[in-house]
Amino acid sequence: MSLRNPIDLRQDRRQWLKTSATLLGASVLPMPAEATQASPQTQSTPKAPPRHAHETRSAARFFTPEQHALLDELTETIIPEDSHSGGAKAARVTDFIDKTLRETQNEDQKRTWKEGLPLIDSMSRHYNGKSYVDASPEERIAVLTVLSDNERMTDLPEVKFFKDLKHLTVIGYYTSRVGIHDDLQYRGNRVLQEYVGCDDQGAAKT
Amino acid sequence: MTLDPEVDLSKTYDAVIVGSGAAGGMAAHVLTSKGMRVLLLEAGKKLNIEQELRSMEWPYDNANRGFLPPDSHSLNFNEYTIRRPPYGPGFEKAKHLRSYIGSSDYTKNICVDERENPYTGTNYAWVRARCLGGKTNIWGRLALRLSDYDFKAKDRDGYGENWPISYNDIAPYYDKVDLYLGITGVKENLDYLPDSIFQRPTKLNCAELTLKQGIQKMGRVLTQYRAGVTSDGLKHNKYRTRCYGRGACSRKGGCDIHAAFDSPTGLIYPAMDTGNLTLRPNSTVREVTVDPNTGKASGVRFIDSQTMKDYHVKARVVIVAASTLESARLLLLSKSRQHPNGLANSSGHVGHNFCEHVMGPGITGRAKDLVNKPPTLDDGRPGGFYLTRFRNLKEKHPNFIRGYGFEGGSGSTMFPRGTDTLGFGAAFKQEVRKNHGAYVEMGGFGEVLARYENHVDLDPLVKDKWGIPALRFHYKFGDNERKMCDDMKETAKEMFEAAGFEILHVSERILTEGWSIHELGTARMGNDPKTSVLNQFEQSHDVKNLFVVDGSAFVNASCQNPTWTIMALCWRSCDYLADEMKKGNL
Repeated sequence: MSLRNPIDLRQDRRQWLKTSATLLGASVLPMPAEATQASPQTQSTPKAPPRHAHETRSAARFFTPEQHALLDELTETIIPEDSHSGGAKAARVTDFIDKTLRETQNEDQKRTWKEGLPLIDSMSRHYNGKSYVDASPEERIAVLTVLSDNERMTDLPEVKFFKDLKHLTVIGYYTSRVGIHDDLQYRGNRVLQEYVGCDDQGAAKT
Repeated sequence: MTLDPEVDLSKTYDAVIVGSGAAGGMAAHVLTSKGMRVLLLEAGKKLNIEQELRSMEWPYDNANRGFLPPDSHSLNFNEYTIRRPPYGPGFEKAKHLRSYIGSSDYTKNICVDERENPYTGTNYAWVRARCLGGKTNIWGRLALRLSDYDFKAKDRDGYGENWPISYNDIAPYYDKVDLYLGITGVKENLDYLPDSIFQRPTKLNCAELTLKQGIQKMGRVLTQYRAGVTSDGLKHNKYRTRCYGRGACSRKGGCDIHAAFDSPTGLIYPAMDTGNLTLRPNSTVREVTVDPNTGKASGVRFIDSQTMKDYHVKARVVIVAASTLESARLLLLSKSRQHPNGLANSSGHVGHNFCEHVMGPGITGRAKDLVNKPPTLDDGRPGGFYLTRFRNLKEKHPNFIRGYGFEGGSGSTMFPRGTDTLGFGAAFKQEVRKNHGAYVEMGGFGEVLARYENHVDLDPLVKDKWGIPALRFHYKFGDNERKMCDDMKETAKEMFEAAGFEILHVSERILTEGWSIHELGTARMGNDPKTSVLNQFEQSHDVKNLFVVDGSAFVNASCQNPTWTIMALCWRSCDYLADEMKKGNL
């Protein structure tokens, strides 16, 4: 998974940050979470109808409906639907992440997410000329590949964000019905009469 | 089986037992079966354990997906490494602070809150479970015997002390424990790892079989996990069910059908059914009291853990079974005119010779022929494999003495192992899926030498929630352990190579002291009262009616897991105790 012309984030970032800093007006990034006013990014994002009606009612949600929609696409890029099984959206990973961040005591993590979402959206605008939600699957992959290929640069908030995004997506997905049953087709956690061993599985034996 | 809300503390019991884990439960079983009137005190609550463990719950049906609730924190390796006990400062945001094993929603009420139970001194990952049954509620279940390679280790390499018993002394009691509690495994006829009386064995899966065959030519032995689990059921015990092979056994938590041994259903409830056992939870014992005239133990003083009220109860015999470190703490706390250094401590050895198992080095690999195969059921059993000790048996290793074994397993798990795969997207998802059943991993457990200087004492300042002085650690791994760990990672590699596995990761770091939760040796047995605390029946040399029947009696740690030996020794000691009492010698 790498771009045909890989971008060195270290070099490119300075240029990109200059642009985005001008765009945002300051190094203080908009606070998405419980924020009442929409950030510059979300203003320019066409308002998509919320996926789950009840979510807009809950003032306690960590993410705004716009952020929720963005995160749906981000998690789906991390673990997409394929011919085998559903992806992060089907597993409702965004709901899991929302709950995790709503309840965590880890303020650093909250900050990482508050900073991270608009940064990703800015990256998409920079690389693709459009918001992440409006970008095509290939364009979305291109944005996350920049972060994934440079995942040791954790001094950058967007890389830190990507790593936690992947971490929580993986946990949310593989502890879900879709992940456990549809994707992995996990066969345990059931009552057995006899223990199962190599001979019983018919699997290849060296 | 009923629980008295207010037990009679005015009468003198035949015996009072401090602690309800493997040792305390076994003492209660043996002594009540001989008609003795026994009071069992447990510092923690009697939890509704089935409600705690919920072993068949799917993660998506759990509010926290099985993880610790977000208002709590469990200590991790980095924190144990960098920060110093007492653990508390720096974790103010967490409502509850737990040891590393308290990191799941199923263990959060079983493991103590670190802030209520501080300790000081050198870094140590001290895992404590204060509740009825203690750590047996969540133990790893590997149930191994020791042999004369361990009991007479000094004869072989000159280090330390021999035990005052040999294998023949304890073998009949291992048999009793096997038959009373149930154990699954396969006979191997190894002189250094004697067989138990096994029930129906689990089966090895394909990668495990590959490893077994691969290392056979090296003269090394891999056997099915010898689990303290009843796989055929126990006709004499109505509280336990035979193993259904349901899986999810590997997650941190216990067995709520009680196929795996735990002290409450295996020992304590049956003991209560004799009518001879009185149980009082929420009883934090702070002192073994002494008759000022005779110098003998007269009973114990305890604090109600919830009301904080102070009580004293009298007994003809006091049996300390509070776990290796808590038992040492209690003896050191029990200072009197006759016993100014603490009870049973004329030798000065209480708290010393503290030993355990060192962990850390391990390996993860992939069985290439299992990649991309249809999903298999690999975790429907209480454990994978045990790879037995092979060092310092026939030949001498040039760099270190004693031995180590590996615990491991392979195959698909409820949560996949390969999520550290780089990248994301369709390829990542596919990679996780196709490797799901192909992983194989194992980690070493090595003997930490018993050294006098490795010890615990009482902190002069820090006290726990109940005002009881905290334990202070002076404990570090030494050169022998480090060299042994170097060897572990090399042999792990060579064995995975011999099995033809693709090696993905070799773990070289040594985990924090305490990680194995196998602390031992703080009141060791011996024939010489000058260099040991207990005799071969775990009876104090100094105080004839005081017995210490848990892991603190061990003379060395061996490299085999201790629980089965703790119980066999305890059974033997309690047989002796009952005889002595009949003879009027106590």
